[in-house]
Amino acid sequence: MAIFVQALISGILIGGVYALIGIGLTIIFGVMRIINFAHGDILMIGMYATYYLFTLLHIDPFLSVVITIPLMFLFGAMLQKVFINRALDALPQNQILLTIGLGLIMSNSVMLAFTSDYKILTTRYSSSSVTILGISVSSPLAISFAITAAITAALYWFFLKTDTGQAIRATAQDREAARLMGINVRKMSTIAFGLGAALAGTAGALIAPTYYIFPQVGSIFTLKSFVITVLGGMGSVVGATLGGVLIGVAESIGGVYFGSGWKDVVVFTLFLLVLLFKPAGLLGKSRT
Amino acid sequence: MAILEIRHLSKYFGGLAANSDVSFEVPERSIVGLIGPNGAGKTTLFNCITGYEAPSKGEVVFQGRRLNGLKPDRVCRLGMVRTWQKVRPLRNLSVLDNVVVGALCRTNSVREAREIAHRQLAVVRLDQKASILAGALSIGDRKKLEMARALATRPKLLLLDEVMGGLNPAESEEIIQLILEIKNQGLTQIVIEHDMKAIMRLSDAVVVLNSGEKLAEGSPEEIVHDQRVIEAYLGAEP
Amino acid sequence: MTPDSNAVYRARRISLASLTLAIGVLFLLPLFVESTYVLHLMILIFINTITGSSWNILGGYTGQYSVGHAAYFGAGAYTTMILLQYRHIAPWYGIWAGVVAALVTALIIGSICFRLRGPYFVLASIAVAEIFRVSVLNLKNITNGAEGILITEIPPLSSGGILITDWDSKVPFYFTGLVFALLVILVSWRVGRSKLGYYFQAIREDQDAAHSLGINPTIYKNIALSISAIFTSLAGSLYAVYVGFIDPGSVLSVELSVQIVMIGIIGGVGTILGPVVGAALLVPLSEGLRSNAIANLLIRAGIVDPESRAGAFLKENLGHAHVLIYGILVVIVILFMPEGLVGFVRRAVARRASR
Repeated sequence: MAIFVQALISGILIGGVYALIGIGLTIIFGVMRIINFAHGDILMIGMYATYYLFTLLHIDPFLSVVITIPLMFLFGAMLQKVFINRALDALPQNQILLTIGLGLIMSNSVMLAFTSDYKILTTRYSSSSVTILGISVSSPLAISFAITAAITAALYWFFLKTDTGQAIRATAQDREAARLMGINVRKMSTIAFGLGAALAGTAGALIAPTYYIFPQVGSIFTLKSFVITVLGGMGSVVGATLGGVLIGVAESIGGVYFGSGWKDVVVFTLFLLVLLFKPAGLLGKSRT
Repeated sequence: MAILEIRHLSKYFGGLAANSDVSFEVPERSIVGLIGPNGAGKTTLFNCITGYEAPSKGEVVFQGRRLNGLKPDRVCRLGMVRTWQKVRPLRNLSVLDNVVVGALCRTNSVREAREIAHRQLAVVRLDQKASILAGALSIGDRKKLEMARALATRPKLLLLDEVMGGLNPAESEEIIQLILEIKNQGLTQIVIEHDMKAIMRLSDAVVVLNSGEKLAEGSPEEIVHDQRVIEAYLGAEP
Repeated sequence: MTPDSNAVYRARRISLASLTLAIGVLFLLPLFVESTYVLHLMILIFINTITGSSWNILGGYTGQYSVGHAAYFGAGAYTTMILLQYRHIAPWYGIWAGVVAALVTALIIGSICFRLRGPYFVLASIAVAEIFRVSVLNLKNITNGAEGILITEIPPLSSGGILITDWDSKVPFYFTGLVFALLVILVSWRVGRSKLGYYFQAIREDQDAAHSLGINPTIYKNIALSISAIFTSLAGSLYAVYVGFIDPGSVLSVELSVQIVMIGIIGGVGTILGPVVGAALLVPLSEGLRSNAIANLLIRAGIVDPESRAGAFLKENLGHAHVLIYGILVVIVILFMPEGLVGFVRRAVARRASR
């Protein structure tokens, strides 16, 4: 039982980070109707940025989030303006391939620049743990969950209370109507992609202290982020939040009971089931 | 003899009744006009008849055979075909190849299908444009192409969904002549239209839908003077 | 004959003649070319042509972009290798078992994925392929898991007491690859002109409209997938026996699925020539990069000084750059030539002809 609770807690904590990744992807899909296959690779770039900020400038990874967020936002906005924007009218399949290509460019450039060697980011508290409610939890995981919660809260505030946030939601709901209301949908697309990239990069920064860092690490996160967003309903931020936590828990518990080799199969099977039977997501919505 | 019978057909989407207890018959070789304000349930009815939706209640009987639940491809092979409110050409195929796809419903030979396609294109007077990509056609030509493609499947019943929508008077006249010619060849047709003059000229009988229900049925003359129909289209008379 | 059809007639005779010439050259190549490296490249080109053309039947004609084709490649590869290494069944029987395995896989995958459309289909195709790969990875008793399967020998092939080959050189693999490649191109061509081809394309253009014209999308999508899976598995089996070693990472990975798609996209989706051009371009490019041939070329041409930092960097790393180049090519093609190289060239030629 204790093992189950342990797995559950770990799952929720990592699920918070997954939620960030999922929210980023779902915002991009909601506003631009594009499935960003480079999402995991953007996360990977966030990891490397955090790693080098730490090893070269000695900035603590969790503090460096302050730098990574705007940096990754700009990166995402640049990607959108230079590449994605030109393909907005292409077949959805081609858009997917475009993002796949961009992802490959990212991961292989990083491989050329920094080699495929696994890098590890160790801080003085990397292996320490805190005790919450009698359960022992890894410190970095706990801290990243706290930061994730803060960012998610800020995001919700952004979408609900600010003009730009509401404009983005309007664009996601109905692009034409938003345009007719005077919203600059092009700008919204750029902002959405920037936001999505910032969230993915931040997730990368947050898990950098606990994961191996290598150029190909992005692809598994890309697949996971799809599962999360489909689970929660493509385009639904709330759905992605819940989906992230759900996947974190499913993975954690699945790993305990089926062995770590099969945990990915558990996740993918869940994914297929949702795609087939509840394609609008477990929550049944498909709009922000 | 009725080639098509709609018996107490209802279609619900969640709580919304898109069609509610609709019944009428379509005599063979006739043209039935189906009219009603936007949102009356006309296209949903077409979807239920041709198998894109399954009716929630009631039956669709084609040539004495219950159709409920049959998929669109089976319905087509039985002899019923539809055109689309928003025309749907196979854009990256040529005009000829579009019709060939239709003709292949009845033959396995591509060569034979091409001959049938050429003939159908001549009927709608698109044969000069046979090798142009369908995506490059004007809206009027696309509508004619869709009719030719549907006719190539050798249907007994043709369902036309606002085939004159978006056409200028000359183009509409061409379509009207086509519909009359098709009737002469022995096909039965159900025509959804907003153009009342066309309905008057074409229809042997008119069925009026409003808010999912059948409001009225009769000859074009009767319908045009029916108080309920006038109210439905124009609001209550002062 | 009118002048127009005269020109068409001549053009067709020229292309038929050049096609026959090209095929003849390919068959005679091993007689003139001694270099095993060239043969190796050609074998890889054939394998990639087969996978690209097979994918094209499902993706190009029918419009279903599967990014999980590695499942069929791996099904063929693993079945053939398992039968050869553990049951001593010769590969010329084993590949047909591989085809059956791929067909079963295809029908399972099709029944799951074809309910979905567009991007959701793409996602599902990736997910099932990944489930397949992880399963193969974990079922160590059957597949030897991550260690993969290494074959120790291939039985000699003889007929009526006469030895045809003992698989010692690359030449028998060359001819097998050539024959398979020609076969898939022929099938591609015939299907394209048949009722199947028309129906596949109708589904691609507008599935609902096609449905109303008497086409059952599920049946035809599964037919396209089956044809595609059969030939992809043949390619996988050939690759496995030729290279002599497989593991889940080399024959079942998402990377492989993506590369298969790219051959079609870069060459030209929906055309017969496209995958051929794609394979002929990408294989030498990636092998050239991988083997440092290009780096060495640049050095020998005096463009790059091997002692310089740039030189050292190139020598060390260009070998890994081939996937980077794939990525760059895909981005360029999708943004600027969505019809692929073949489509781009055709348009350029047509434009020049109309001046």
